[in-house]
Amino acid sequence: MSEASSQESDETGGAKAESKPKPPAVAKQAKAIIECKGITRSFWRGKERLDVLDGLDLEIPEGSFEALMGPSGSGKTTLLNLIAGLDRPTAGKLVVAGTEVSAMGDAALAHWRSQTIGFVFQHFNLIPVLTALENVELPLLLTKLPSSERKKRAQIALRVVGLEDRMHHRPQQLSGGQEQRVGIARAIVHDPKIIVADEPTGELDRKSAGEVLNLLEKLNREFDKTILMVTHDPVAAERASVLRRLDKGKLL
Amino acid sequence: MTLGSLTVKNIGHNWLRTMLTIVGTGIAILSFVMIRTTLAAWEQGVENAAQDRLSTIHRVTFVMPMPKRYFDEFNGQRGRIPGVKAATYINWFGAKHPTRESEFFANLAVDSATFFDVYNEMSVPADRLEAWRANPQGAIIGEALAKQFGWKVGDEVTLVGTIYPGDWKFKIEGIYVATKKSVDRAQFILHWKYVNETLPEGRKDQIGWIASTIESASQAATVSQAIDAKFEDQEIQTRTMSERALNMEFLGGASAILRALDVVSLVILGIMMLILGNTIAMGVRERTHEYGVLLALGFRPKHIATFVLGEGITIGLLGGGVGLLMAYPLIEQGMGRWLEENMGAYFPYFSIPTSVALVAMGLAAALAALAAVIPAYNASKLDVIDALRRLG
Repeated sequence: MSEASSQESDETGGAKAESKPKPPAVAKQAKAIIECKGITRSFWRGKERLDVLDGLDLEIPEGSFEALMGPSGSGKTTLLNLIAGLDRPTAGKLVVAGTEVSAMGDAALAHWRSQTIGFVFQHFNLIPVLTALENVELPLLLTKLPSSERKKRAQIALRVVGLEDRMHHRPQQLSGGQEQRVGIARAIVHDPKIIVADEPTGELDRKSAGEVLNLLEKLNREFDKTILMVTHDPVAAERASVLRRLDKGKLL
Repeated sequence: MTLGSLTVKNIGHNWLRTMLTIVGTGIAILSFVMIRTTLAAWEQGVENAAQDRLSTIHRVTFVMPMPKRYFDEFNGQRGRIPGVKAATYINWFGAKHPTRESEFFANLAVDSATFFDVYNEMSVPADRLEAWRANPQGAIIGEALAKQFGWKVGDEVTLVGTIYPGDWKFKIEGIYVATKKSVDRAQFILHWKYVNETLPEGRKDQIGWIASTIESASQAATVSQAIDAKFEDQEIQTRTMSERALNMEFLGGASAILRALDVVSLVILGIMMLILGNTIAMGVRERTHEYGVLLALGFRPKHIATFVLGEGITIGLLGGGVGLLMAYPLIEQGMGRWLEENMGAYFPYFSIPTSVALVAMGLAAALAALAAVIPAYNASKLDVIDALRRLG
């Protein structure tokens, strides 16, 4: 995986990746699940154009666990938002899980997101009036699954993150680490191909952060999920199989 | 969990604010129901007034008296009007209880020989009626009045006159029971002759109005015209109308107040809608980040708009329910009972009509939905990234 990643990075515009010994699941993969070609994302501040991402090329193979680091304002979250289908590039082509998301309409993109992407947020973002089980069930409300099946899948997801005994607790009754694990259960309940995690350990103490990272590793290794994690934390980044660095809108 | 139950659960984000909004909506609905019920009861009172009983009054206004001799033209002493079955005459006595002056009740000086024939829905035991007729200072009172002042047969009571000044002493000879709900059960019936004999010459032999029953309600217009025609050439002309029309005229002033209150009730509902709109808008503003999360998960703007509208409607319906829960005991057991007992002639059926309850619930839901339209639209227009950036 490390060799493959380095090679792919070199071939896709000089993006350098620091690779570690690859997990077995990734080693079998060669196909890219995320392909960015000449991606530019610009914002306007008055009359001044700001290119947050500037002609970025990137390929991420299916089944990898990659960390994205860089200083504030380097474009990490912007890139993550584009890959997750929350935003569209100003220029360039973006293909994720076989779909050209840069060409999709709003409704189609929302539907695509609900099937393809699992989100893990820095602030957990659980709905406070819902129990852990109901929070996990949320993405399944957009499917045609019957209520009993939705509940069953939410229970399984909570079991995967080790919180089956907390399923009827509200977020305010959980610790930060438990809240983030519920967030991860919500991210996997609909079995997405890709999990995007924006600073998933940013709000956690070291022990809880370790548990969350263990869980992300487990999802990557045992459930074959492609994980793209934005982080400022070098300890967290070390747990990824590939580390990419971004600065001023370009991969280093 | 379903999308519907998620909508309902969402109202629990800020329980204190939600509860205050629901109670506020409930009070607005309560005031609406009270006013609408009063209007409906009044209309029903008019509807229930006897159509086969006519009232003949002074043409100018019913507060001006007529000569008693006019009555003689009804009862056969000086003539008879075709279509009239029975007639009686009445004077508004207008006295008050000496110590409980604020407690209004109707007191009428009547012709003891004919009054209970014309108002036969007021039932008095035969022996009591006979005793009353034999005692010029006798009085027949309604069961509600007896209960109100604790009076019973044989009691001697004093009323303080206002139209006819002085202390007037009476002995309660009987208590009438209403056989129809449209009868005021709190009246005080006394002898016209007792009052008339004490008056100076210039005020003697005056009556307030003549009530007459007719053969058929369908003849009301014809008989009324015949009565008025009979007195057309006399010094005082008359105006005859059915009891229903008289009630409407009597309540004309009150109806203007009720109509004004009706407008006030609509204004209250308008204010309720603005408060609801503000509450919902505050909720949307506070939960922008949460909507961003839902949008990221794949929920569409239409879902977000539906959540906001659904929350508004849920709060509106809960407020409407609270309003009705307050209205039923208050109106059906308290205010309504009192009005039926004390002002039965005008409000014989003071009860919340089902249509009023349904309209109240419908308005609560509809106005809440209307109040939620702008916040729902704004929420549906949120940009997912902007929404996620805002702190929850």
